[in-house]
Amino acid sequence: MRGKGALVLLGCAALAFRLCQGLAGVILPARTITGPAEHYLAHGAAETGSANLVSAILFDYRGLDTLGEVAVIFAAVTGTALLFGGTRIRYGFSGLSVLVKLGMALVLPFIVVYAVSIMVFGHLTPGGGFQGGTVFATVTILLCIVYGAGFERLHFKPRLKEFLEAGGGLLFIGAGLAGLVAGGAFLSNLSAGFPKGTIGSLVSGGFIPLLNIIVGIKVGAGLASLFFSMVKDLDAGETEDQGHNGVNGEAPPS
Amino acid sequence: MMPAALGTGILLLVIGIWGILMGRNLFKTIICLSLMEGGVLVLLIASGFVPGGVPPIEPILDGPAVNPIPQAFAVTAIVIGAGNTALGLAFLAAWHHAGGSLDPDGETGGAEL
Repeated sequence: MRGKGALVLLGCAALAFRLCQGLAGVILPARTITGPAEHYLAHGAAETGSANLVSAILFDYRGLDTLGEVAVIFAAVTGTALLFGGTRIRYGFSGLSVLVKLGMALVLPFIVVYAVSIMVFGHLTPGGGFQGGTVFATVTILLCIVYGAGFERLHFKPRLKEFLEAGGGLLFIGAGLAGLVAGGAFLSNLSAGFPKGTIGSLVSGGFIPLLNIIVGIKVGAGLASLFFSMVKDLDAGETEDQGHNGVNGEAPPS
Repeated sequence: MMPAALGTGILLLVIGIWGILMGRNLFKTIICLSLMEGGVLVLLIASGFVPGGVPPIEPILDGPAVNPIPQAFAVTAIVIGAGNTALGLAFLAAWHHAGGSLDPDGETGGAEL
């Protein structure tokens, strides 16, 4: 056992050394930008109408990548919801003290406004659908911690979140098909004739702001339902007796 | 700054690999995977850095902009990583509730998923 530990440690040290050697040549030297990024930086704003070039890449140049990523989230959310699907819960946890609850109620609107502003201004300032959606998901996490999962379930139905999550994915595909119908390629933006607008104004960049909002809703709902799927099980474990009923509320297989 | 980013990324990556190889707990294995992901993301972002660079947001006024492509990759990778971790933990929780052991070599207790 000790011998194995020493061996693994030696291997890891050797790996770290080789990685340093190999990547030092890539990361350390002062370099200029080459390849496709050069084109994106020079013409990205003019070609997509989006001032934030990261958003331009995510939703225009590499929109198909983002669609694949949306599919990955969908798979993760579906899998987690399936695994925890039939958990029968008795909600015992009624939340933290009244001070924390009041403070939470005070902070909550600001979190929501912050999330929406990151999402809506994603094509102008740092941020975008993914970041805004993640901030949005913290609302669910905070509600579950401060008020308990029962409150969260009562006010934000898990089914609604799953509907938003799946609907966001469908809307994304719909936006791509709109480009196809308008005469361009799948997920083509300005080349399919969507209005460009003035670079730097709120309505600009074709459907990039729209995709930001769609992805924001989808990621927010997805991460929220991921967290909720897990925490409702945790709640059940706390309130139920020692003999846990198994994941699906059935007797564990013998 | 760049040597620090390089060192941090590789350190996180190697700690993750070490934890996966040596850990006796499947929960820690999943956390180590997410640690490795963090290391890779640091290296990815660092690879797009340009000395004296500014954010790649129009109008780009003072200095060259950094490479926006690794940043776009990192954004998607972070969310995918969260999904992966959550799904892995969900499988682990289901396995544990069914009577399986968290030790990779331990008794399964006849548990089936």
